[in-house]
Amino acid sequence: MNADNDHKVIIAEGVTKEYSDNGLPVMALRGIDLTIEQGEFAAIVGPSGSGKTTFLNVVSGLDSITEGSVRLDGKLLSTMSGRELSDYRRDRIGFIFQAYNLIPVLTVEENVEYIMLLQGIDKKERHRRVRDLLAQLGLDGMADRLPSRLSGGQQQRVAVARAIVSRPALVLADEPTANLDSKTALDLIDMMRRLNEESGVTFVFSTHDSMIMARARRLIVLKDGRIDRDEAQA
Amino acid sequence: MLTFKIALRNSFRQKRRTTLTVLTMLGGFALASISIAWSDGSYAYVIDMFTRNQMGHIQLHRAGYLDRPSLYKTVDDYKTLGPALETVERVQDWAPRLYSSGLASVGEKSSGVRIIGVDPERETATTRFDKKVTEGRSFSLAPSQEALLGTGLAKTLKAKVGDEVVIVSQGADGSIANDLYRIVGLVSSGDAFGDRTALYLHLTDAQELLVLENRVHEIAVVVDGLDDLDEVAAAIQTTIQQPEVEAATWQEFARSFYVAMRADQQGSWIMLFVIILVVAVGVLNTVLMTVLERRREYGVLRAIGTGPGQVFRMVVMEVVIMAVVSMILGSVVAYIVNYQLSIEGIALPTAFTYGGVTFDRLYTIINARSFYIPAVCIILTAVVASLVPAQMAARVAPARAMRTH
Repeated sequence: MNADNDHKVIIAEGVTKEYSDNGLPVMALRGIDLTIEQGEFAAIVGPSGSGKTTFLNVVSGLDSITEGSVRLDGKLLSTMSGRELSDYRRDRIGFIFQAYNLIPVLTVEENVEYIMLLQGIDKKERHRRVRDLLAQLGLDGMADRLPSRLSGGQQQRVAVARAIVSRPALVLADEPTANLDSKTALDLIDMMRRLNEESGVTFVFSTHDSMIMARARRLIVLKDGRIDRDEAQA
Repeated sequence: MLTFKIALRNSFRQKRRTTLTVLTMLGGFALASISIAWSDGSYAYVIDMFTRNQMGHIQLHRAGYLDRPSLYKTVDDYKTLGPALETVERVQDWAPRLYSSGLASVGEKSSGVRIIGVDPERETATTRFDKKVTEGRSFSLAPSQEALLGTGLAKTLKAKVGDEVVIVSQGADGSIANDLYRIVGLVSSGDAFGDRTALYLHLTDAQELLVLENRVHEIAVVVDGLDDLDEVAAAIQTTIQQPEVEAATWQEFARSFYVAMRADQQGSWIMLFVIILVVAVGVLNTVLMTVLERRREYGVLRAIGTGPGQVFRMVVMEVVIMAVVSMILGSVVAYIVNYQLSIEGIALPTAFTYGGVTFDRLYTIINARSFYIPAVCIILTAVVASLVPAQMAARVAPARAMRTH
């Protein structure tokens, strides 16, 4: 890896993903070449079926690729074992899902500290980070609630807290605002952008919401599994 | 700790399913426990009745007597040996016996008999001899030319209490042994077959008849408890310091009875296997359903960095938690039932005879085996049944699993 790659969080080269749908081959990604630099706040947009979720899945090692290569922090994903991928995701990537995907039997506080527990961070530090983050995200007084007792917006904020509390280098968010009303969605995106600016965490998120797209500093448009457009925004 | 916390809370998510699974395992535990307690209790009862009432737990004979009984293979100076036995730990009582065969005649009826010389006082203390006298009375303490007949023999000889019986046998000195005795009682030992030939004499009378003064063929010993009889037998052997006299446990001198008991006991393992199979199917069904339902969650856990081993442990632990709860509740249920049945027993619809003893009621026994064997079986069954579903959960492909609803 040369010096130019030091600031590149994701390097995708010729990424192709083909899967079978009821026995029929479907090309979800067709030779994607893409680089994400450290500290970016990039949106991957496109209509349903354009390959946004598949792209996020393959660059995080949640799904395999058919052809091409993906490097995360310079490491070639295809050479990593399942265990190494799992550890890598735990230590370097934060995930925000469209359906929140909080652990239903854990409280807000336990959900947020979950990854830190996996990382072996001591209790005092975990509680300090959770407390600070919940306050920052407007979730004061909800630490002991179960996810089922929170609104969609609150659950997604908990998911954001879970994604960033372990201070990952990269946060991947798959349509994080899809289940939220417009105001809550904008608040969430503003909050993510603020975190990006304040802590330098790289955010890559998929969306097809035009209001949200406007908040991104880089817009990557996917169409039929190909990059149709890749442009910077003010 | 985290894995345990999630597993614990997951166990309470599907309350109805968890309750049913716990009930399946609880039922399995309780049934297995009762089954073992019943089997052990019954066999302990049968063995105790058989040994305590007749044979004794340990017997002393002259070497080779058990293989080939003979009038001449005697234990000499039993009056010195007896008190020595009492110094051995766990020995409770001992009774000397003399055996021979002969011909008994009452009036015009004659029959071959097995002459059994007993010390009435010691025999009563050792094998409750007096309780077996169903008609008339037991021997006077001093030898008085008295005889007791097995009920079957009395029937054959058409003898009754008060009649005189003439016995003809062979003395140890080669002489013809014969004498006249008065029948003072009839004996029902529980061994109907034996009672057809049994003729009891006071030990001193028998020794005189057979010219075997101060000699016996057997010393029956009863000890405290049925466990580790080998150790007691070895201790007796060491204490008496007579290599020509052998101490044997009931498993040796009543080998056919012991083998039959062991074979019978194997049947209870089949019952245990069936119970385990039912529990395994119940657990497997529950865990498989759970894993399929939570596929998405396992996908999320894997996506955010939970290792496959942690997911695996989470699933197994959830089952173990249910198994432990089942074991605790099952132990309470099993204890109550076993305790009740150990006191009241269960009346058998048809009495049966085993080893010559008639049983009309059997009892359970409360022992450690009846708890730890079901506990180990239930835990192992639960863990084994959850291995495949746990592996499925651990190996979910995160992206695909998260697409499931």
